[in-house]
Amino acid sequence: MINFLELTTSGLALGSIYALIALGFVVIYRGSQIFNFAQGEFLTWGAFGMIALLDAGLPWELALLGTMLCTGLLGSVVERVALRPLIGRPVFVTIIVTIFIGSILHALAMVVWGSDPKGMPTPWEAMKALKIGEVSIWWNSLAAVIAGAVALGAFFIMIRYTRLGVAMRATASDQETALALGIPVGRIFGTTWFLAGAYAALAGVLLSMFPRNADMHLSFVALRAFPAVIVGGLESIGGTVVAGLLLGVLEVWAQGYVNPALGEFGQNFHTVFPYIVMIGFLIVRPYGLFGSQDVERV
Amino acid sequence: MQNQNKLILEVQNLETVYHGVMRVLRGMSLKVPEGGVVALLGPNGAGKTTALRSITGLLDIHEGKITKGKINFFGEDISKVSAHIRVWRGMGQVMEGRRIFPELTVSENLQSGAFGVGRKTMLDRMEAAYERFPRLKERKDQEAGYLSGGEQQMLALSRTLMSNPKLLVLDEPSLGLAPNIVSQVKELIREIHKEGVSILLVEQNAAMAMELADYVYILETGKIVRDGTPEELREDEDIQEFYLGIGGEKRTSYREVKHYRRRKRWLS
Ligand SMILES: Nc1ncnc2c1ncn2[C@@H]1O[C@H](COP(=O)(O)OP(=O)(O)OP(=O)(O)O)[C@@H](O)[C@H]1O
Ligand SMILES: [Mg+2]
Repeated sequence: MINFLELTTSGLALGSIYALIALGFVVIYRGSQIFNFAQGEFLTWGAFGMIALLDAGLPWELALLGTMLCTGLLGSVVERVALRPLIGRPVFVTIIVTIFIGSILHALAMVVWGSDPKGMPTPWEAMKALKIGEVSIWWNSLAAVIAGAVALGAFFIMIRYTRLGVAMRATASDQETALALGIPVGRIFGTTWFLAGAYAALAGVLLSMFPRNADMHLSFVALRAFPAVIVGGLESIGGTVVAGLLLGVLEVWAQGYVNPALGEFGQNFHTVFPYIVMIGFLIVRPYGLFGSQDVERV
Repeated sequence: MQNQNKLILEVQNLETVYHGVMRVLRGMSLKVPEGGVVALLGPNGAGKTTALRSITGLLDIHEGKITKGKINFFGEDISKVSAHIRVWRGMGQVMEGRRIFPELTVSENLQSGAFGVGRKTMLDRMEAAYERFPRLKERKDQEAGYLSGGEQQMLALSRTLMSNPKLLVLDEPSLGLAPNIVSQVKELIREIHKEGVSILLVEQNAAMAMELADYVYILETGKIVRDGTPEELREDEDIQEFYLGIGGEKRTSYREVKHYRRRKRWLS
């Protein structure tokens, strides 16, 4: 039971991170029907940007905001330079371009920061844990859950209640009409990339806190968040968040219970587990948990 | 009379193509004087919607391009200006098929028409829309997709008015609406015009357009083939028969064909 609770909280922490990454995917997709395969690199840039800002002497909280801002701007620059000119092009063209941008960002990150892993400093002790009876929960897990909840909550308030949110939903609903009404659709695309970048940076920082490190493999985690997008239903932001949390928990459970049962063969079973869930979902409910049926047309 | 007033919109010799090859407009010109109501009529596929897309800046979304000609709005060529900036400069439009955002609420639909407008002004304009259409107020927090066709048209018009346009461009506002709703739309257009908005109206419903307009252009296969005041055009036999469906007995498809030939002659 203790093990179960501990696994579940780590799972929720991982799930929050998946949700943040998946949210970025979906926001961009809903805005402009682009699958952003460069998303993972924003995690790396966000994490290393954080370390750079801390090295420059910024307090931790400011450094976190700073790296979110910078990575967000990186996202909107990528959109403006590489993707805006491709509006209206077939989906595979934009996919190839985002993959290409991903490799450029990856190579640049290697040049700038090298390939050695670095520890992510935290304001609290790396191994600090909260004890509730027998159960101990990492502060780092707690931080991920809380930061995820705050960031996702802020996003939902923005998209539901602000005028920018209305403009974003209008653009997602019908680009041409949005333009015809005076909504600067290009700027809205830039905003979606900004948000995706900023949230990926947050995810990157949270993910590289102990027991992990900041390293060049962070970007692969974004691919593990991809099933959350599919399971959540491409169009549904709420569904994506639920699916992200669910997959995080399932993955950690798989790691805790299934991996050992599989013996040597099962060492990395948990890393493929989300894909198994995704494939199952694609067969049973191709439009996801909450997605609308017509997404199948894509 | 048309040329004496100051022009809010002047289209000169416009040519457009889709996908680089399909020429749709072939040297179309028209003028909208400030405070005027101008109707653009023509058969299906004549290029009316294409003309409006060129004027409002929505061609590139459809892989279309202006290859020749000018579009002057308040005396300035805007053919290279982005669509949203044309709106900010005072050009509002309601596209063919109304195009409300079905999953947004009525009030969010209205808000989406007021991007960049100050909050207070936006709320005032929303209030004005609700006053005009109490039905919209009753349903302001409902998803707009559940409104009836007529209500959706009222919403689409109100949404466009949120940007306070000087020129209102309307593409077939009566399409698919019941007759009593059509006359409501007609009244509304009159009212908007009285408030000082110039109007460019595309219609299939020629009778309605002729009642509203003070000048009419007829577009066929990408060219203006006839223009004049509604009075002048009403005198014209071909127009009577072809667009107003008056005169002559019940039309059969054969007669349509025959008239089409006759019309062709008068074109050339
Ligand atoms: N996006 C597009 N790509 C290629 N051709 C197009 C496109 N849009 C319209 N056309 C063609 O241009 C011509 C004029 O179309 P347009 O929609 O402007 O006509 P219309 O006068 O508005 O007709 P309707 O009365 O049916 O609305 C038609 O032959 C149409 O097939
Ligand atoms: Mg049309």
